[in-house]
Amino acid sequence: MTFRLRSGKKGLEIRLHDLEATIMDVVWGKHLSSFAVGDVLAILEKQRDIAYTTVMTTVTRLYEKGILERERDGKRYLYSPKLTREEFMESTAREVLDEAVGGHQAMVMLAEKVSEASAGELDDLEALIQKRREELDT
Amino acid sequence: MIEATFPLLGTAFVVLIVLPAFALLAKAGLVMLERDEVGGPLHGLNLRYVLLTGSSVLPIAWLLSAGLHQAETAKSALACLFDHDTAELCFEPGFFALMLAVVVVASSIGVMRKHRGLRISSTDAARTLLRRVARITSSDPVLASLRDRVVVTDDDGFALGTQGLLRPRVFVGTAFAARLSDEMLASALGHEAEHVRALDPLRYLILQLALAVNPFGRFLLEPHAVRWQAAREAHCDREAVILGAAPLPLADAIVRAARPGAREVVALGARDTAVLKFRIGMLLAFSERAPARCCHQGPSAFPVAFVLLLIALLLPHQTGTAALDALHTGAEHALTYFWR
Repeated sequence: MTFRLRSGKKGLEIRLHDLEATIMDVVWGKHLSSFAVGDVLAILEKQRDIAYTTVMTTVTRLYEKGILERERDGKRYLYSPKLTREEFMESTAREVLDEAVGGHQAMVMLAEKVSEASAGELDDLEALIQKRREELDT
Repeated sequence: MIEATFPLLGTAFVVLIVLPAFALLAKAGLVMLERDEVGGPLHGLNLRYVLLTGSSVLPIAWLLSAGLHQAETAKSALACLFDHDTAELCFEPGFFALMLAVVVVASSIGVMRKHRGLRISSTDAARTLLRRVARITSSDPVLASLRDRVVVTDDDGFALGTQGLLRPRVFVGTAFAARLSDEMLASALGHEAEHVRALDPLRYLILQLALAVNPFGRFLLEPHAVRWQAAREAHCDREAVILGAAPLPLADAIVRAARPGAREVVALGARDTAVLKFRIGMLLAFSERAPARCCHQGPSAFPVAFVLLLIALLLPHQTGTAALDALHTGAEHALTYFWR
């Protein structure tokens, strides 16, 4: 699963386009372990005007990217996330791994706007390191 | 024609036109190198450094040398002889070189002022920390190269970094070291050992000076310089791990050094978010898979830079100074044109 890192974006949008990130936010936020396009549409419609076909196209793209898996349920598909939000965010760091000593994506990351890390971001990085330590210990 | 025309207008032309033009050429080269997806951010670090610094240093070196050459021999100063009839010596190129040197020195003062030295401590806490460092370095053959190169400072907020141009030393902040385990401190010293070996404080100073003397071209090069410096830090992380440092303790030390209160010079603690994420991501990767020296580093920076500098200095004496003559006549003709 490889993605193009998007410069100047934060969170999910580093790796996903805006609507893709919004849909995954809904899926993870509402704990939708198995859902149809209509389920996501119903939630998104409360927030904005959006067409069924737009959601369907985006969900299909997420499936093609390997973020969602699906199984047929009669005439429709039921989708489910392959990764939890935490696993997905962690895999962002992992993706940098292979590119860490090479690759344009890592250069894109270095070309992001210069900003001093906040205490929260440093906490997140420390937690990431701690988690990796625990993984290696077990 | 007044004698100050060439020294003043010529220097202005160099600062306003010549150096920015060289910066533009260097930028084109840097963009091409950074687009190389095979090597990535750590690719061609030395070549990128030569482009960043050479675009300012080499033209200035050539112009200074050419100016002095014309002033001392007066044989190749065709423009000067043409305008001043029977003058046996022509001092205008010499004054031009002097004026250019003044501009270079003046623009360097700000950079030099920022490089204040740290105070070495000899308190009880400092001695205790030195004993701890000695114990760590003596048990590791790689860190043994830092013997007598590690000093301690009580400077408020200083984390850990390398200072000193020709004989760099690693400064360890007592407060910062107290927050690190031995494993973290050893890994951090491994990172600094690469800075010491490569004379990075000198490299960084030359880079800052090269940008400072090109005030109208530096905006073209600064983003590349920031990326180069970040990549250089990442390179030191990788070298440290290759030579035996533990990646996760090093990552931990880097994050701790970036906490508010720590101030870095050439240090572990780059606080920029993107750079931190990149370096931590890389070290997390190294915890799973040992790194290798995969990236083409280009020729060593210092020998190449020295040879190029030597060529720039000698060239006017060997091949003539036609470009300086053109600059000389151009400056005087420009003044004549605007004077009318």
